[in-house]
Amino acid sequence: MGIRFREVSYHYPQNHLQFHQAIEKISFQVSAKGEFIALVGHTGSGKSTLAQHMNALIFPTEGSVEIFGHSVTRKRNRKIRYNDLRKHVGLVFQFPEYQLFEETVEKDIIFGPLNYKVPLDEAKTIALKTLAQVGLDESYLNRNPFNLSGGEKKRVSIAGILALDPDILVLDEPTSGLDPEGKRVLMDLFQSIQFETDKTIVIITHDMDLVYQYTSRVLVMNQGKLVFDGTPEKLFRTAPLTEYQLSMPETIKVLQAINERLGLSIDIYQKTAEAAIQAIKEAVRQ
Amino acid sequence: MSMINIQDVTFSYTGKRLILKDINLTVEQGEWVAILGHNGSGKSTLAKLLVGLLEPKSGTIAIDGVLLTPDTLYEERKKIGIVFQNPDNQFVGVSVRDDIAFGMENLNVPREEMLEKIQFYAEKVGMSDLLEKEPSTLSGGQKQRVAIAGILAMQTKIMIFDEATSMLDPTSRNELMSYISTLHDEGITIIMITHDMEEALYADRLVVLKEGAIFEDAAKAILLRKPERFREARLDLPMALKIQSGLSKTDEKEKRVRDFLWEFVSAK
Amino acid sequence: MKNIVIGQYVPGDGFLYRLDPRTKLIAVIILMVAVFLLETIIELVVAFGLVILLLIAGKISIVRVAKGLKPLFVLLLFTFFFQILFNKEGTLLVEEILSLNPGNLGLGLLLTVLWRLLARFGKFKTILLFLWIAGIYCLLRYVAIAPQWTTFSLQIHEKGIEMSVFVVIRLLIIISLSTIMTLTTKPTDLTQGLEKLMRPLKVIGIKSDDFALIISISLRYIPTILDEANKIMAAQASRGADFSEGGLKEKIKQVISLLVPMFIIAFKRSEELADAMESRNFVPGKKRTRIHELSFGWKDAVTSVVILLCLAASITLKVIG
Repeated sequence: MGIRFREVSYHYPQNHLQFHQAIEKISFQVSAKGEFIALVGHTGSGKSTLAQHMNALIFPTEGSVEIFGHSVTRKRNRKIRYNDLRKHVGLVFQFPEYQLFEETVEKDIIFGPLNYKVPLDEAKTIALKTLAQVGLDESYLNRNPFNLSGGEKKRVSIAGILALDPDILVLDEPTSGLDPEGKRVLMDLFQSIQFETDKTIVIITHDMDLVYQYTSRVLVMNQGKLVFDGTPEKLFRTAPLTEYQLSMPETIKVLQAINERLGLSIDIYQKTAEAAIQAIKEAVRQ
Repeated sequence: MSMINIQDVTFSYTGKRLILKDINLTVEQGEWVAILGHNGSGKSTLAKLLVGLLEPKSGTIAIDGVLLTPDTLYEERKKIGIVFQNPDNQFVGVSVRDDIAFGMENLNVPREEMLEKIQFYAEKVGMSDLLEKEPSTLSGGQKQRVAIAGILAMQTKIMIFDEATSMLDPTSRNELMSYISTLHDEGITIIMITHDMEEALYADRLVVLKEGAIFEDAAKAILLRKPERFREARLDLPMALKIQSGLSKTDEKEKRVRDFLWEFVSAK
Repeated sequence: MKNIVIGQYVPGDGFLYRLDPRTKLIAVIILMVAVFLLETIIELVVAFGLVILLLIAGKISIVRVAKGLKPLFVLLLFTFFFQILFNKEGTLLVEEILSLNPGNLGLGLLLTVLWRLLARFGKFKTILLFLWIAGIYCLLRYVAIAPQWTTFSLQIHEKGIEMSVFVVIRLLIIISLSTIMTLTTKPTDLTQGLEKLMRPLKVIGIKSDDFALIISISLRYIPTILDEANKIMAAQASRGADFSEGGLKEKIKQVISLLVPMFIIAFKRSEELADAMESRNFVPGKKRTRIHELSFGWKDAVTSVVILLCLAASITLKVIG
């Protein structure tokens, strides 16, 4: 199952206000289990548009998006309950401020399940569970979401979507605005969620370091088109990054600079500082 | 006479918990100072104190030799400008032209002079083709550049950037950093509040805040040789330094790499 | 990217665009008074003709103005029929007896259902509407199946037709005048004009100085707020909040899930904006120079004279007639 894009294009309606960037003939698929995907691209490349096709918030102008067996096309199909599709594909937006609205954290998290007619008691149990999943304890249940720090708000908004138990979790720039420690905490969280539940996680991000360290597959959008679908290492080795307006991870940049200046041949494809250190030590020994 | 002189400043919102304590800081004209700190260390509060948006609980702040008081605020604000984090929440005008004009209108600058200055400063930030544009058609980076133009037009000598790039994508961020570098080359005193180490490396001097107090205040070259201090302040080291810390100081070949990494980090 | 036409302003050329907004504001008010003083249809038709001449002289597309009338079409229609049906002065022109009985009630319901079904498929909505009205009329007039529940005498008098035409033309003139104004004046210029006109009100304590700034800031944020509203709805829809379905209780919750974030974001915005404005030396109420100047030119003077002449003519006609 999962999601399958077939030659999907989106053009904003000509006479209306343009809300979303256009995308052209996108085809790829995302499995419902176990993938950790990064969706990257310059601002305006169509990443958000693509993401909103994944849970049927936007319908394609051409082509079809098959979401867990249901085909979403330009025309509204009365047989499909599009709302139900959003149970399978959970989309977390960039700013928790767009989502948080209740007086307590608990009430906000159960909003989702209640919309899907989950009984109140069950919803509350789920809230407690997802709160733990995002690394917050019981004491947060009765707190006012608006009194939380930026990082805590992000986690509550993620818990709110996890509460629907989606098979695929899509997150739009989840680490933006967080300090380096906050970024790491969140990414480790996603990794552990994936490890424990085997969900597929898709993150939209600009941070190539995180992409390299955590994800196993990268989708690159450029000017509305899908120009790359492969592993992060393949991306850094072969793709024209400057053309795609992407930068190299810091480790690669630094090792490249060392090689250039000191004439060494260190293997520059290292994900972490520790790996880079080892690579340098090896190269220096020759 | 220093450009900025902060003496024994403490600050609290509620009167009980101190957000900032015993802040002593002087900044000379033309310096580029990065103020680093974890979230909640009091960085933004310090920025607001410098432009008089907040009043210290105790201590004094002097801008260009003049003490900041409710009476001197209006005059002193002409010398110091601040670019905030959210590009949308500081764009006042209906168009780029109107927004750049805003500050000057507040200073009762005559109309002809305003028109000249708008053209001049818009060109400086590369927005002169877009003077008629509405903010909803601009990117975050463009809006920040308009903010800079508007502040420059008030003939400020000191510019504070309060996490001004954190809501921008990497391309816009780099663009903005290069504009700020140009400003610095022209003699403007820069205070950059950030938690991004890579950005902080543009500065000559680093001030580290930890839990409301000054933890470190030294020239970049000196401070970078004490990476433990950064860890203690809950800050990330630049990748080059992280790598460097794992290399031997004695092994000849590894030392070469170490030395290069110093250069790499110091040159920005 | 986003292009929202604020108000009805459409950039263009012509003398109407170059007039000072204050002239236009005062002109619209005075002309409206002048139109209300007119008493006969002929006078109104002449006035209407003058408005058309104004559009042509000002190089404004009549189609554009007509589009501005679209939202009020129903109001005009209603006014027209109201006068016709209920004005009972003058000679009787038409009299029809309409009746309501089980027969035509049943057929009427059937016709209504048929109309709604056909209307769903979209294309000929207006034609269908008129067909429905005609159909209902025929049923009420011609279909008589005992027992008669009630009868109604539909009377159209001479005066009724006259009055309905009169009122409709007057409405058309007034709406056209204000449409011309908003079409040719930038919202910010309009508010600046209003601000200057309101200066005298300072005497009774109304602070007009920052009025234009308040309005222009509000206008500036309309696209931003609309954009945010869409994003909030999308975020909540991702949690199953279906803004089109659900009973009253659900709908209330959904609306709250949209409004609370909007308000919170708005409050944060005002705080941050106030900080930014203050740091740029803004002091509420303090005198400020403006980048946009309003200047009264000879065109304004001429226009003012013409407007006053129109008013004088109206008053004269009223006094004489």
